[in-house]
Amino acid sequence: MTTQEKQSPETFIRFSPLQRLLHMVVMIGFTGLAVTGFSLKFSAQWWAHGFAWLVGGAGHLAYLHRFFAVITYGCVLVHIIWLFYFKLVLKGSITGPQSLFPKVQDIKDMFQHMGYFFGRRSIPRFNRFTYWEKFDYLALFLGMNTMGLTGLFLWFPEFFTTFLPGVFINLAQVLHLYEAILAVALKFVVHIVTTHLRPETFPVEKTIFNGKTTREKMMHEHPEELDSIEV
Amino acid sequence: MGKRGIEQFIKRMLYLSICLGSLFLAWHVNAGEIKPMMPPQLEGKTRDCLDCHRYPNVETNAGAFASQAFCLECHQKDACIRTVDKINVSLKIDPLEIRKGRHAFVGCIQCHTDVARSPHQSKTGAQCLSCHPVHNGAGEIHAPHLRVRCQACHSVSKFVYLDKATNEVRLSHTNGKGLPIGLTDHNLQDTGRADFCQRCHTPGNTVGAADAVLPSKSFICIMCHDGSLTMGGPLFWVALILLILGLLLMVHFWFQGSVQGEEKSMHRKMGLVSESIWGTFFSRDFFTILKTILLDIILQRRLLQESVKRWFIHSLIFLPILFRFLLSIFTFFVSRIGPESSLAVILIDKNSGFTAFVNDLCGILILLGIVLAALQRLIIKPPHVVAEAKDNLALLLIGLLIFFGFVTEGVRILMTQVPPEVGIYSFIGYPISRLLSPMGVQWSAFYPYLWWVHAVLGAIFVAYLPFGKMRHMFNTPLTLLLNYKMK
Repeated sequence: MTTQEKQSPETFIRFSPLQRLLHMVVMIGFTGLAVTGFSLKFSAQWWAHGFAWLVGGAGHLAYLHRFFAVITYGCVLVHIIWLFYFKLVLKGSITGPQSLFPKVQDIKDMFQHMGYFFGRRSIPRFNRFTYWEKFDYLALFLGMNTMGLTGLFLWFPEFFTTFLPGVFINLAQVLHLYEAILAVALKFVVHIVTTHLRPETFPVEKTIFNGKTTREKMMHEHPEELDSIEV
Repeated sequence: MGKRGIEQFIKRMLYLSICLGSLFLAWHVNAGEIKPMMPPQLEGKTRDCLDCHRYPNVETNAGAFASQAFCLECHQKDACIRTVDKINVSLKIDPLEIRKGRHAFVGCIQCHTDVARSPHQSKTGAQCLSCHPVHNGAGEIHAPHLRVRCQACHSVSKFVYLDKATNEVRLSHTNGKGLPIGLTDHNLQDTGRADFCQRCHTPGNTVGAADAVLPSKSFICIMCHDGSLTMGGPLFWVALILLILGLLLMVHFWFQGSVQGEEKSMHRKMGLVSESIWGTFFSRDFFTILKTILLDIILQRRLLQESVKRWFIHSLIFLPILFRFLLSIFTFFVSRIGPESSLAVILIDKNSGFTAFVNDLCGILILLGIVLAALQRLIIKPPHVVAEAKDNLALLLIGLLIFFGFVTEGVRILMTQVPPEVGIYSFIGYPISRLLSPMGVQWSAFYPYLWWVHAVLGAIFVAYLPFGKMRHMFNTPLTLLLNYKMK
């Protein structure tokens, strides 16, 4: 921001290799789910014909959809296991200021940020995760659980209708589709625009892929976290 | 209008009348040909050809019910019988049974595809495989069941026979006493019941089945065979748990040392190692690693530089095991992505030419490698070879595993009466079956024991991987990769 002199930029590790790997698997899994799922749902469209042709038929689309579902939900499970590891072994704080836990401060930050957009207030001093990053993460984390549940209803209808009324399968079909549209819209529009297509990071935010961020970027985007590291 | 004009007019009129005349003639001739066919009289009702010779849209419930209603018109009557050897066999079908079953919403001609013919009969029987794939993947049932027709297991009738012409086990149209029976019961066998396998798997069966019901092939057998996601019993669970424990212990042992100066915190060590792996994987070093894997790990370049003889013996054992492992993984995915594809059927069928040949070839190469290594260690004993007990145990284990694999294969070929033109692709197993055939042993009683010996050896092999000599298949590649990194 203010440092003009040329110096070798100090790098910080923002994401661990596990987090990078999970992002990559979710990225591939989620895109695969979207492509195969929509190709099945909108099977009359020309592009759906194209994808079905590419993988050798609707049966294979269904198989791949389940494969991608398994790897994507596997990442959710790894996150849950990690949460226990973080709490019990590393004695970390799940609700602390550095966590992804939503807090009142996030709502305040959001209003201050809106004010900043209209030139009325200063930019809020974000901590490790900003409010939109938390929203992005939690939307996917919680959404994958509900998608997983309705998906399981559709995968094993015989099992679930042994104790649930049959109408749950129809409900699952409706909810699975609309939540899929919601999730795809959120990820492919909101997430990509707010993280990758910002002027500061265009065309790609590399931090999630190589884990590294610079001091300048930290000062710009996460000043509160930088303060807590340097104290 | 001059003289020329009149001539032209007459010409045109002539042409016109010829055209119209031929049109009228054509219409007249054809009109005479079309005569409505007299509908045949049947039981006082008129029948149209299309009543029978048609294909309603059986993809819809309405079409399926139309198909059922049409067939049941005769088949729900008591009088619907067929006479075989002067014995009346009822062909009556209870509509309520159909309504209760799994195929309630399926038209009759969807399965009985060839009944709409004259005279009315079915030559091919119900076609299960036009809707259902062969058993999803290989392992839930054993590959030898590929020669068993669906109805032989899934029908409630328990009379089956071995059709010598096709070498298939089929549902029999006669009962145990040779009397014809009707097979119109459309109920399906509850395959969750354990005892239904004993229809064939019982001492003294005539279809070439083993006397005892064997568990499905376990997932750990994927080391060499195509496997399923079933575990197949406590023995294999123990083997898998020992394998996982051994691997965890090994990783734990690796992390005993310091990582980039970090001595104590396991968390930090893991973090540093994964950071280093990530950094190498997503860099130009990736291609160097690929080269190391290909030349040093798969092709064993270093061993070749040391001694051609040792490289040859090691490769005889290592490469076929690796190949069969990769082929099994490939089969696992193919049989799940496209269980109906002919590729999947070829890969899971032990009698198909490709699979039988490859399995036998790999097996005999490994066995040859084991024999050469044993000669080297126990008889020739060159000065640089130190025959440790640990090494000999590993060799013995693999050798016994392969040996019993071949014996079991031979007995299977003998027991299931595989015809020579099919069996000969198993170029080791088939000769073994010929050698065993004069012994006059009840092989179907003996086969389960052989199978279990091979399975127990396999389980021991898998459980022993991270402990004894065979630990080198994890350690050595890792060392090679780390050495590259240090260079």
